[in-house]
This record gives sequence, C-alpha cells and structure tokens, in this order.
Amino acid sequence: MTALLEAQGLTRSFGVSQGMFKARRTLHAVNGINLDIRKGEVLGIVGESGCGKSTLARMLLGLLPPTAGKIALDGQDIHTLGRKGMARRVQPVFQDPYSSLNPRRTIASIVSLPLEVHGIGTAAERRKKTLDILDKVGLPQRFADRYPRELSGGQRQRVAIARALVMNPEIVVCDEPTSALDVSVQSQILNLLMDLRRELGLTYVFISHNLAVVEHIATRVAVMYLGRVVELAETEALFKAPRHPYTKALLTSVLTPEPGAGIPETGLGLAFPDPLNPPPGCPFHPRCPERMAQCSTITPRFTEHGRDAVACHLHDPELRASTPRNVVTLNANTALKQKENS
Amino acid sequence: MTDTILEVDGLSVDIATPRGTLHAVRDISFSVRRGETLCLVGESGCGKSMTSLAIMDLLPKAAKRNARRLAFAGQDLSKASKRQINALRGNRMAMIFQEPMTALNPAYTIGNQLIEAYRQHKNASEAEARERAIFLLSKVGIASAAERLGQYPHQLSGGLRQRVMIAMALMCGPELLIADEPTTALDVTIQAQILRLLADLQRELGIAMLLITHDLGIVARIADRVAVMYAGQIVEEGPTASLFQSPKHPYTQGLIDCIPVPGRTVPGGRLGVIPGVVPSLVGDIRGCSFRDRCSRTQPICSQAPPVYETPDGQRWRCILEDAA
Repeated sequence: MTALLEAQGLTRSFGVSQGMFKARRTLHAVNGINLDIRKGEVLGIVGESGCGKSTLARMLLGLLPPTAGKIALDGQDIHTLGRKGMARRVQPVFQDPYSSLNPRRTIASIVSLPLEVHGIGTAAERRKKTLDILDKVGLPQRFADRYPRELSGGQRQRVAIARALVMNPEIVVCDEPTSALDVSVQSQILNLLMDLRRELGLTYVFISHNLAVVEHIATRVAVMYLGRVVELAETEALFKAPRHPYTKALLTSVLTPEPGAGIPETGLGLAFPDPLNPPPGCPFHPRCPERMAQCSTITPRFTEHGRDAVACHLHDPELRASTPRNVVTLNANTALKQKENS
Repeated sequence: MTDTILEVDGLSVDIATPRGTLHAVRDISFSVRRGETLCLVGESGCGKSMTSLAIMDLLPKAAKRNARRLAFAGQDLSKASKRQINALRGNRMAMIFQEPMTALNPAYTIGNQLIEAYRQHKNASEAEARERAIFLLSKVGIASAAERLGQYPHQLSGGLRQRVMIAMALMCGPELLIADEPTTALDVTIQAQILRLLADLQRELGIAMLLITHDLGIVARIADRVAVMYAGQIVEEGPTASLFQSPKHPYTQGLIDCIPVPGRTVPGGRLGVIPGVVPSLVGDIRGCSFRDRCSRTQPICSQAPPVYETPDGQRWRCILEDAA
C-alpha cells in the first residue's frame, strides 16, 4: 500500500500564558511525528487527553499549520494545495454534533455548503446530490428542510458525516466521532462508517480514546503519548502483543464486559503526564513499570519490527544487544548516542 | 430487614415543563444491601442521575419527588425533616460526582473542604479532623498528604481531584456511597485506577455502593447486582453474572450487543443496533416503554408488561418469560 497522506517531522507548539508577569511557556502538543496514511486503511489514533491527537487531526486536515515538518498528499505538499484544494480531498467529522452544525441553517443547506463554496453544480444539482448523500447516511429525505435542533445526537452525527462525504473526499478524519453518543447510537454510527468505507473506498483516520471501538474499526493503530507516536502496529498485532509498556497499560485498562474479571491493576502509579512539563528522556518513564536507567535521559528511537514500530528502549535491538537490561551505565548511553550521531 | 441499607419503593420524579409534566423517574423500586454494589445503568435521559439526586434530596427546584417509601437504614427519608436529612447527608450517606472540578470549591483548600463536614457532623476538633483527612488522603493513594491539604483543587490533576472527592466522601465513615459516573471525565488508565480504589475501599470498609454509569464494562467488573433503566423505569435487574450471561429484557440484550467486545464481535463486522429513539417522557407512557424499538413487539405490548423473576433474583418487565 502506498502512502496517501504523509506527515514528516510534524511538530506543533503553542505559547501558553502563565499569568501576567510570567514568561509564556511553550507547549509541544505534537512533537516530531512521522506518519503515513495508506490508501484504503483505517488508521486508529489512540491516546489519553492532552496527548496531541486532536492537534494532529487538525494539522492533517490542513486546518492548523505545523510549527515544523510537513504534510504531503499524494506526494504533494499540502501547503501548495491550499485550503480549498485540501478540503476537496480530506474532510472532517468532529466529536460533538451539537456544536459542529450551524443551528440557523437547515440540514440541506449544511450538507450542501461545501458544494456551494467550491462552486460545484447548479442549485438543482446540488439539491439532488444533497438528497442522495442524506439517503446514503440513512437519513430520510424529509429531514432536508429541518434544523439541527429537531434531530437527535445520532441523527446529527449522520448529518456531519453527510457533509463530509458530499465532496467525495478520499480521506475522512474522524475525531472522536462517537464519544458524545449513547452506546446504542454509537454502534449505528460505527456500522455506517464501515459501510460507507466499503462502498466508497474511503480512507479513515479514526481518533478515539475508546480502545474497544478502535480495535473494532481500525486496521492499523498509532498510540500517542505526550505529543509523540510511541507505537504503530497492525491492529491485530497491537492488541495481541503490545510492545510499548504504555500500550500494555492502556490495553489493561480497557474494561470489557466480563462479569467477575474485576478491576485490573495498571501498574502506572500516581504520576500523571503534564504536557507543559514533559519529562526528559522517554516521556512515559515516570509512569513506566519497566523503566531502566537510560529511560530518564535518552529519548528512545523509533525502531521497526517487521511491519510494526515502537519507540522504547526495551525494544531497541542495538541497545538490547550491547547491554543487558537494567545494567545500562551512563557511559554506555553516551557511547550509543555518539554512535547514533556519527 | 436489617441488612438493607437503602430501600426505594415506588420512587417517581416529575419535572414541570412548558409542554407538560416530564416523568423522569417512573415508579421505580430497588434496594441496596449493606456492603454490596448496585449499578444503575442506562443511556442518557433514562433517569439514573435523577434517581441518585432524589435519594440524596438534591433534586433541582423544578423537580418533585414522590415515593411510597425511601428508607435509609430503616429511617424513611421521604418523611424526614431537613435537619434530619442534613445530619445523614455527607455523614452516613455520601456522594461522589462525575466532574470533581465542579464539585470541589475552587476558593478553598483541599484541607478546608475535607475538614469542614467532619467537624460539623462529628463535633471533632480541628486537629482530629486534620489527622483523619491525612489518613484518608494516604488511603486513597495520595503521597505527601499533609502538604496536599494546603493546596487548591486547580493545582491537582483530574485523577487526583477524584481521589480527593473519594477521600472527602469517606471522611465521616459513610454506610452508603452514591457515585454518579465517577470516572466518566477521566482517561482510561486513570479510570481503572479510580475504580480499583473504590472497589478496594468498599470491600475493606464494608460500605454499600450505588454506582450510576452508562458503561457496561464498568458494570460487569464492579457490580454485585445491576438495575437497567429505560425511559425512567427499571426494566431489568439481577445478579451481575446472570444478567450478562442471560439478559432477559430485549433492551438489555440490545445494549449488550451494541458494544464491540474483542473475541465476541468480529473486527470490522456489524454491531447490534437498537433502532429508533427513546419515547418522550412528557405525559404518560402506556404499555411497555420499549415497544416501539423492540424487534419482538406484539399487540399485547400496549398493555403494562408483567414482571417475571428467576429463583436467583433476576427480574424483568416484559411479556416474554424467556426472551433468549
């Protein structure tokens, strides 16, 4: 599979005010991410709040310029495509269907707005296209002239999906598309997304904190932690044999409906990630149950393992070969660093 | 019965709206035994939070509570005075809310908020209350508890705030803890930690817990018994294992089939759905409230459904004696 959308060294930082008399501090929401989104796949992006997954989504949509790094669509820098050119091929579905739809517009005018903006078709053609797409997302055509307030949460999310699809995009970036919905509605939306993908050959970037949902819908998963991708693997492999200790902790925390299984022990301790104060070395080391000496000083490299990749010293073949676990000395670390640099 | 800590019989909550009276909770009955965990589960608008607020007498002004009997440790709360309720609330029955940032007062230190209720209820000295606060903060896994007492809520992370909320609820040694979506605002790893803490404390201190959630995963892992709510009614209740293994009510079955479960659902395959929407709660609902969305509706469903019960205490409100 070829990369349809490719991010290289993608970084985004924000200046955060600390109060009137303090200097602004820099928050690295996304920190040097390399990611390729392949045609036809569903790339799940998981991670906890503040890990930068929504910032990544906005950059992939071309809605937020990166501080450093670049994004290419079919090999072409999205900068040169412009916002409109980008919007024709990459479309969003956001979390909250209550705030992402304009309350003063009818459903038909919300869904057809992208067509109008891009000057596609005559009014009659646009109307027809709108009704077709409403049909496709499972909304009765009589909804066309209603307002968002008359619709339930699940119906609104269908409208948001219709609006995303009306431009025939190649990629749909879904940022927590079912998190605001009840479980019975969530399953309807997930089924719809799967059907549309098959029917229209869509590629999804699917961002969620719900791992059971990601396991269900994604073909490949990127796990994010404090602005970095720490593990990237095929869904089945990731859920069967997670490599990164953070991925393991995340999977342990999933409460599947198994009576009697009890509440799992995550082994994470009380430290919590502060994006404003990322720890040196591996960003996960303060919470990691398997941390070693070098984890607090050296940021782990992204190493490839077959089709998967992970950023963890435990899985760095060079590190593992050169030194036994837990006995890494500082000298060995500097030697390794020099080797990397040379 | 001496081992029943909370007895709810015929509880209704009505809210006056411009369109008529909204019956948020419709004549529900359940009980919580000492030391057990009962989960109230259901989707948004099913009345689960209103039920918890009604028990604590914390309903918004527009909402009216009616009950044949609402007894805490044998004392009928529906007939108790404000003073008697105040003496119980925060003392023998305590509550944990979903969003610790809004439930904690941002203008007071953690210490102030922990100590206040204890001194009020237990007539204790400042030093005694402080000592208990430090003890409980360490109990809920907060390091350097003494220093935390001087901090304000905004200085803590979401997970720590929820731990403080739990410590606060435990200050007076309650016999019943009502937790309304206590981990919904938290990340999954923190959620697992907080639930484990709650389960451990509950076992150790022998507290009864009424846990309100929409998450069937949480229910399966923590509850002794489950009550499933739909449109203001309890449609099914029973021991957790029986309810998950052989759900009797079509709504319970539908809910369980909706969620992706590794091993049970095929990745990328179709998930179960419950078509349609919840009926309006304004005005009366005649017959089964689920019948418009149920795949097994029969003409008889327009009449009030019977309640069936198995020997192990699984009860459901449906014309189908065994839906499976």
